Amino acid sequence: MGDYKFAKDKLAEVVGALKDYEVFAPTAVGDVLRFKQVEDASGVSLDYKNTNVPPKELMFPETETLFKFRVGQTEIEPAVPDESSKRLVFGIRPCDAMAYTIVEKLYSWDYPDPYFEGRRSSSVLFGLACSEPVPNCFCTSMGGGPGSEQGLDALMFDLGETVYVKTLTDAGEEAAKAMGLEAAGDAEKKAAAAQEKEAQGKIKRTLDTEGIPEKLPSLYDHPFWEEFSDRCLSCGICTFLCPTCHCFDIQDETEVFNGRRARMWDTCMFPEYSLHTSGHNPRPTRKERTRNRISHKYSYFPEKFDVIACVGCGRCINYCPVNIDILDILEKSKKAEAKEAKTA
Amino acid sequence: MVDEKKLREKAKEVLARDDVRRLIGWKRGTYGYESAPVVIKDASEAEELIFDPTCVQNPASFITLEEKPPVPRGQEPDTRKVAVMVKGCDSRAVVQQLVEKAYPRDGVIVLGVPCTGVVDRRKAQKMFGDTSEPVLIKEEGDKFVFTIDGETKEGPRAELLADKCVRCRFPNPLVYDELVADEVAVWGADEFTDVDEFEKKSPEEKWKFWEEQFSKCIRCYSCRNVCPMCYCLECVVTKQRPQWTRRSTDVSENTAYHIQRAWHLSGRCIECGECERVCPVDIPIMTLNRKMTRDVKEMFSFEPGIDVEAEPLLSCYNPQDPEEYIM
Amino acid sequence: MMDESNPYLPYIVNIEDAWYETPIGDRAVKTFKVNFTDDKVWDTWSHKPGNCAMVGRLGIGESMFCISSSPTEEGYLRFSIMQAGKVTSALHDLEAGDTLTVRGPLGNSFPMEEWEGKNIVSIGGGIGQAPLRPVINYVRANKDKYGKLSVLYGARTSDLHCFKSEFQEYQEEGTECHLAIDIEEEGWKNFVGFVPDLLLDVAPSPENTIAVTCGPPILIKFVTQGLEKLGFTADQIYTTLEERMKCGIGKCGRCNVGSLYVCKDGPVFSYATLKEIPEAFA
Repeated sequence: MGDYKFAKDKLAEVVGALKDYEVFAPTAVGDVLRFKQVEDASGVSLDYKNTNVPPKELMFPETETLFKFRVGQTEIEPAVPDESSKRLVFGIRPCDAMAYTIVEKLYSWDYPDPYFEGRRSSSVLFGLACSEPVPNCFCTSMGGGPGSEQGLDALMFDLGETVYVKTLTDAGEEAAKAMGLEAAGDAEKKAAAAQEKEAQGKIKRTLDTEGIPEKLPSLYDHPFWEEFSDRCLSCGICTFLCPTCHCFDIQDETEVFNGRRARMWDTCMFPEYSLHTSGHNPRPTRKERTRNRISHKYSYFPEKFDVIACVGCGRCINYCPVNIDILDILEKSKKAEAKEAKTA
Repeated sequence: MVDEKKLREKAKEVLARDDVRRLIGWKRGTYGYESAPVVIKDASEAEELIFDPTCVQNPASFITLEEKPPVPRGQEPDTRKVAVMVKGCDSRAVVQQLVEKAYPRDGVIVLGVPCTGVVDRRKAQKMFGDTSEPVLIKEEGDKFVFTIDGETKEGPRAELLADKCVRCRFPNPLVYDELVADEVAVWGADEFTDVDEFEKKSPEEKWKFWEEQFSKCIRCYSCRNVCPMCYCLECVVTKQRPQWTRRSTDVSENTAYHIQRAWHLSGRCIECGECERVCPVDIPIMTLNRKMTRDVKEMFSFEPGIDVEAEPLLSCYNPQDPEEYIM
Repeated sequence: MMDESNPYLPYIVNIEDAWYETPIGDRAVKTFKVNFTDDKVWDTWSHKPGNCAMVGRLGIGESMFCISSSPTEEGYLRFSIMQAGKVTSALHDLEAGDTLTVRGPLGNSFPMEEWEGKNIVSIGGGIGQAPLRPVINYVRANKDKYGKLSVLYGARTSDLHCFKSEFQEYQEEGTECHLAIDIEEEGWKNFVGFVPDLLLDVAPSPENTIAVTCGPPILIKFVTQGLEKLGFTADQIYTTLEERMKCGIGKCGRCNVGSLYVCKDGPVFSYATLKEIPEAFA
């Protein structure tokens, strides 16, 4: 594909040129950063670490309508997103883009999810490589990296005064042309490669995931889970802010005449998640739920889809109010001695 | 100042008792300015306990968080006590939980830790940056001294203290079986000036403010889960029959949730501030709670979490009450 | 089959007939015999014993129920639903002539082809008989493909037996039937005791036999133990599980038992599969 560049002080112009696209970029409200639709291109900045809420909300919104109906009638009006609309996600980090490639495997499994697919296929991902990883990033241990290209249509490198743009797909090329970018030379390419190497070196936290998916089920009855579940608040922050967590609830809502079936983010950390109407709950305490969450991401998901459902973005570590640290848990799981799993 | 060696000795003593099942305290976090609450079951684990200006979490929340699953047939329920280390603000939660009879007084052993304030992690991050190595913080006079990645850095106490600590009137625990250090002098006062300031806004300004704040809410319910006073077995927001608040995250439902919670906490909130600290999208939840706290103080001359003998303010009624109905 | 372009859209069905299997009240069981409002759905519909569907009402929600009729019963679907919570109570308010929503067929099915030539023992308890009914009716409709069919069924009281008239039919055509109730009742001449005890009493031979069981989790546990005592191997024992479900297509995440999604990898599982999963028998 192509190599392009633009001067960083022309950022507003470059983004403003994307008139045919709905552009989403990290937007600040106080200290909180989230991807929002850009109203004013002059507000876009490349100067940020990562968003609090991951851009999964662009493909899998917090709440979305599945279909509408009129109360008392049986016609159903699906609300599937329009695949032909053009969206561009500007400045998505490589870890968050890689997360889409993981979640896609589940959403296209057997019955493709048209809501996710509709948004994903109409979105062009213009990534921003990381020069300064956040302290709890561990993307390099999960198959990604500060310059990883997985899932992206283009990847930008902020080289200070210039931004080097490497397009990776036809959609990326099309967007680069629309932005009116000039061609880049070897100098930019070399600087980008050097930045990526330096950034990789700055990642302090690592984990060798070898053997973890196979080992976790054998630790089912191991008491080491209690060290974490005892102090877990069961709050759900880790799941809501995780770019690969995809669980949802489906609820019907009605007003006097109109109704809709909507889905919204849910979390396996809440007891209601698996509660049967009979009152029986297969995961009644935090021990079962924390064990289930870790096992799902690091063992059950790879068993089905050959990839660990984690991109190492570190949000769960950064935002857990009680410092439950996934790397700590996984290191301890490696050291724990497997016991025979209990069966009936 | 708390001597950590003495704190660990006390913890070991308590854990060695036959009638103690577990102890809740703090340990060093795995990175940055964090400490982590810890539940330990054996005296040998007491060496990891700490107390320093990183210990912001409220261990009292964990007393009520613990689930009580049915005991398998043939086994007796474990009725041993739970020991908990609490700062002044945390101890108010224990007092209020006792007032509400969440558990019997002899079900807990309270180790009181007089506290001179905790550091607000955000303020420290802004001043010194982030790190993946655990940071040590010590208090020296009117400064906090940080050891970050091997280097020593200092910052003024006034600029680094958590907001709740600046106005703290209860640095010494209000209920305890033993104190692990000497009591400290009170330094703070609270005139609720922040609530007064906010009330100066016009209704339109207030509504615009809250609309913006509540539209950020992702309904993770961390504020509820971390709260030591939110321990209902079935929370009103999770009820399906009837469903009082929908799960969809539109601003109307989010507003309903936050206002509901503020009402359910009125007369009960002990201002530990954890709800606001844990919120991943920075909703100023304490503003609502402090408004209710101030109103309760003015209307009923009552502050929760101070007197173990008090009656829960809004859940008791007296036949001599002037109102004609229970509401 | 389900609308492949959007698996979240349900079909609308008419209730041709609805009746109570057990006395009206809390946890009553009501059977619905339904037919698609759009006849064309039958052109592409095919289901097997064991398949389930999300049944519900617009504005209330959906829950997963087994399709309680065999594909050999043509032109309609049956669901037998116990009243327990929000959705089931709303469904119980419906009568013949009303509509409800059906989204399916979902999940896997009993391996009826693999079982050809074998004897089939069905062991059910309470509402657990609902997913076993299509197996029984499929075997009865394909008598020459299978060996001997025996049906064991119990409920707490004789009132709470589901499909009462159908058991009479089975007995009249010569299918071996054993019925039980938990405690003595005046006029009850059959076995008195729990279903696992009935199983040991009947003691079917494991020789070339498949055992299928469904009921409350505790029943499945003890029946499985009983079958093993009688000499059945783990791959001769099949059951069908349930969990809380919302999407029914393996995306919302909640119904997993270990690495298996009950809505997709199940709900039919052999005991040989479940034995490997610690969470299955927690």
